[in-house]
Amino acid sequence: MSEQYEPNIVAFLCNWCSYAGADLAGTSRTQYPVNLNIIRVMCSGRVNPLFIINALQQGADGVLVSGCHPGDCHYMEGNFYARRRFGLMKELLEYIGVDSRRFNMSWVSASEGGKWKDVVEEVVGKAKEAGPFEQFRRNKINW
Amino acid sequence: MVDLEKLKNVAKETVSREDVKYLVGWRQGTYGFRVSPHFMTKPEDADKLIFSPLCVNNLATYLTLAEKLPVPRGEEPDTRKVALMVKGCDSRAVVQQLIEKGIERDSVYVIGCPCQGVLDLEKVEEKFPGVQSPVDVQWGDDKFIINLPDGTQEVPREELLAQKCLNCRYPNPVISDVMLWEEVEAWGNGEYADVKELEAMDSQERWTFWQEKFASCIRCYACRNACPMCYCEDCVLDRLNPQWVFRSNNISENTVFHLARAFHLAGRCIECGECERVCPMGLPLMSLNRKLAKEVREKYAFEPGLDPESKPFQSSYRPDDQEDFIL
Repeated sequence: MSEQYEPNIVAFLCNWCSYAGADLAGTSRTQYPVNLNIIRVMCSGRVNPLFIINALQQGADGVLVSGCHPGDCHYMEGNFYARRRFGLMKELLEYIGVDSRRFNMSWVSASEGGKWKDVVEEVVGKAKEAGPFEQFRRNKINW
Repeated sequence: MVDLEKLKNVAKETVSREDVKYLVGWRQGTYGFRVSPHFMTKPEDADKLIFSPLCVNNLATYLTLAEKLPVPRGEEPDTRKVALMVKGCDSRAVVQQLIEKGIERDSVYVIGCPCQGVLDLEKVEEKFPGVQSPVDVQWGDDKFIINLPDGTQEVPREELLAQKCLNCRYPNPVISDVMLWEEVEAWGNGEYADVKELEAMDSQERWTFWQEKFASCIRCYACRNACPMCYCEDCVLDRLNPQWVFRSNNISENTVFHLARAFHLAGRCIECGECERVCPMGLPLMSLNRKLAKEVREKYAFEPGLDPESKPFQSSYRPDDQEDFIL
């Protein structure tokens, strides 16, 4: 580990709000941590809970799922389903002993470049506190 | 209470009906305290039927397990019903399958057997080891009457009751076409003491606890196969493209396997305890399921397997669902 530990975070952003919000933060030249690997999905409701488990397994130290505010979903109700699903997912991960700081969810709309910066700073800060997540890594297979 | 004569008469009647394909019940197994599922196609088979504290199996899984052969050209598909004996917990599995449209209401004839709690086979085999010949067990008042080959023994109910039954709130079938005898009074308070105990540990301790458990998993998939709610034709655990769970048996994949299975049962698990019962390694799998059931019940005020008209938990939402975890 280098002197300054930099966590590796996978972020699933919905195409219509959070991705545009992150885009706005970028075009407004907002400075924020670069630890995020952003994956654009069409809706936060499209994010399968297995994506999160898989990300953690393949080297992520934290995961962020971000979508539109409730009621703003481009597909009317996708983020409502996501909210139910990930509320439970967070509880389950916590229950088997995964640090609760590793999995986060946020609502960021397309106009909230500033909020996006705050969210990223918070998520990265939490992941830094939690430290690297090695216990869960998928074993490298040598064929 | 348990009226075996009536059970046999109802079974004979049911199987003789033209719209019933076969009846699934319980019969005495070939040794000890074991009980087998009994598939009845003829009225004569009714004599073997039993209902006793040994009937732990959840037969609802046979509704979806039955092989669906292709219908030969020019023939009509067999639309006859399957008759099924259910305890309280099994009936919730039937209802949950109805909610998910895994089965149709017309395809099943439910024979309700109100139940006073079944035995924990591990506890009873530990208490009476080496019993070879089939044993008959009856319910008494707050005790089990066990007719061993060398005399009858009475054991207090709490001592041998299965874990899932200690807190049972639905001993009576929630759905039935015919109820065999009068309903019993529910005794459970629906508390999650075991879950709370684990929750009280700190995160690192819990991680160690579960890693130890998952490390001993041999991935036999018995939990999945015995589960009445696991009936997807294309199971995510078997899928090769994309392959979410590798087949290698190591701690990482085992953890994913159990997380995926627990999550797929979130808001669906009816707490029949079959996964834990069939687990050859004795993993506390119900603890995962009960944790999610607890969250679903306490935070979302939802309980699976009660109302066939309701919507499945994860494909419905309320605008005021909790979101205190969202940044």
